[in-house]
Amino acid sequence: MIITLRNVNKTYPGIVPLHVLKDINLEIERGELVSIMGASGSGKSTLLNILGILDNYDSGEYLLDGVLIRDLGENRAAWLRNRMIGFVFQSFNLINYKNALENVALPLFYQGVGRRKRNAMAMEQLERMGLADRAHHLPGELSGGQKQRVAIARALVTNPSIILADEPTGALDSHTSKEVMDVFRRLNAEGMTIVIVTHDPGVGAATNRIIRIVDGQITPENA
Amino acid sequence: MLDLLREIAQTLRNNRLRTMLTGIAVAWGIFMLIVLLGAARGVVNSFHANVDESSANTINIWGGVTSEPYKGYKDGRWIQLKGDDAGAIMKDNGNVSSVAAYASVDTAKIITARDYLNDGFRAVYPEAAKSGKVDMAYGRFINYRDISEQRRVMVLHEKNARLLFGDETKAVGNTVSSMGLAWTVVGVYRHRWRSQSYAPYTTYKAITGNNDNAEELMVTVEGMRTEADGEKAEAGIFKSLARQHQFSPTDKNALWTWNKFTSYLRNVAAFGYLDLAVWVIGIFTLLSGIVGVSNIMFVSVRERTHEIGIRRAIGAKPSAILTQVLAESVAITALFGYIGIVAGTAILQLVDMMMGDVEGFKNPTVDIAIAQKVTAALILSGAFAGLFPALKAIKVKPVEALRDE
Repeated sequence: MIITLRNVNKTYPGIVPLHVLKDINLEIERGELVSIMGASGSGKSTLLNILGILDNYDSGEYLLDGVLIRDLGENRAAWLRNRMIGFVFQSFNLINYKNALENVALPLFYQGVGRRKRNAMAMEQLERMGLADRAHHLPGELSGGQKQRVAIARALVTNPSIILADEPTGALDSHTSKEVMDVFRRLNAEGMTIVIVTHDPGVGAATNRIIRIVDGQITPENA
Repeated sequence: MLDLLREIAQTLRNNRLRTMLTGIAVAWGIFMLIVLLGAARGVVNSFHANVDESSANTINIWGGVTSEPYKGYKDGRWIQLKGDDAGAIMKDNGNVSSVAAYASVDTAKIITARDYLNDGFRAVYPEAAKSGKVDMAYGRFINYRDISEQRRVMVLHEKNARLLFGDETKAVGNTVSSMGLAWTVVGVYRHRWRSQSYAPYTTYKAITGNNDNAEELMVTVEGMRTEADGEKAEAGIFKSLARQHQFSPTDKNALWTWNKFTSYLRNVAAFGYLDLAVWVIGIFTLLSGIVGVSNIMFVSVRERTHEIGIRRAIGAKPSAILTQVLAESVAITALFGYIGIVAGTAILQLVDMMMGDVEGFKNPTVDIAIAQKVTAALILSGAFAGLFPALKAIKVKPVEALRDE
């Protein structure tokens, strides 16, 4: 198992505490292409935050590639995110004053990899995405699909355990969306574990398994 | 390190106008600091040029009028110093190395075949060269052989030498006539505003029938370190003269004294305060620039919350973010501070060139030590300016990356 969640609970404190995740149990195997689907407010974003080590949970257990993710310090969490997770975001989240190559190389910068080596590694990933000729373009000079492929290259550059994508096609037209999904399918075929959080049924249909979340609970499969 | 600099250069280029405007405030602050320090240095340099430390260990004494009756004498009595007082002073005060007596002979004419001077001469000991900052152009000053042998020799100012001999280079070795006697010119000196002629005190005393009336005594004291030493030495000399001339040792009006050592110390202290004041003013001017940098870093952190979130999400540790904000702040301050240093130094050089050696203002430049201090101040203040924005930046959670702009 690459991801194991056991009885994970999360409550946002407040005047009326919001119990957003209720006893979540989830297993994702290495090499799977999974989508997590749910309506707005269903708790899927919170689940994504926990899976991505961006947020803590209150009780239960989360194992990522055999590592127990609980009560981590900022530095340890950053280290794990850097090594184990490749993020792909809805709005690409590229740094707009850095060119494609620098954006892809950024996670390696935080690993302390030397400039020459990380640029070579970043170039390799851009080539894999078919964007070698765009390496020195700024994000503003790229199309939406190209930006998302740069973002995917950035997610891949550290050779993570999983790719975690948050509405990766949300800002793209249907044609480009299909392109991006084809990229994910290809990566999955090469053995990469990919988890896509979406509310788009078309995206869900393009994955091998759909995990539905309703009101903070996972509904049984094929229900 | 190189990577960090590249990052900084990129973000600063990204906000060029804002960086410029912020930087100008810093550059101005440093510019003012440098100019003020340089100007203060000019005043201090001028002081040091005029008061040679080696002649600062002297106490000059003039006769005064008593204000207290003492041992049967009435008050209001004029105290006439004598050249012989030197013996008493030397005997009572072990740390006195020499006593020089001076007298002015105002009425004496100095005559050659060519022309004459009628402003007299000053009868002196060799110490007068040092205390009067006499700069010899040709020949030598009065020496102790002149004193002991009562030689009839004279030292002239170059302007007067020119007047008397037509050419100041020809004066040495020639003869002038004064008080009905022939004197040999042994030296010609230059000085910006002093032009009196000098002759040995003992010669003057001998030719005036042992008239030992000294107008001024200059006592050289060895081994003074503190202001207390200076005051003690002065008190000792005062006591000797009080006994010698029969006036009350507490009668401050009986003698006029100028303790060059204590005034030198006070001046040194005063210039220390001047330096301090300049630093304080400069630092406060710089502070307004620093507040500007701090402000802009706050704005920058706020604007880049999303970006910081992205960086955190893809694995930047809080320390990496902290370092980046601090380094950016230091970079702005150091870069523009350097511009300020260069501009300030250039202005000082220009002023130095245009003004030359004006009285009271000499060589108004900053040296390497000051430049180093200013650079240290810059880096410290840059780090200080960035500190609070940086602490704010590390509070940005990586979840910010998921929030849409």
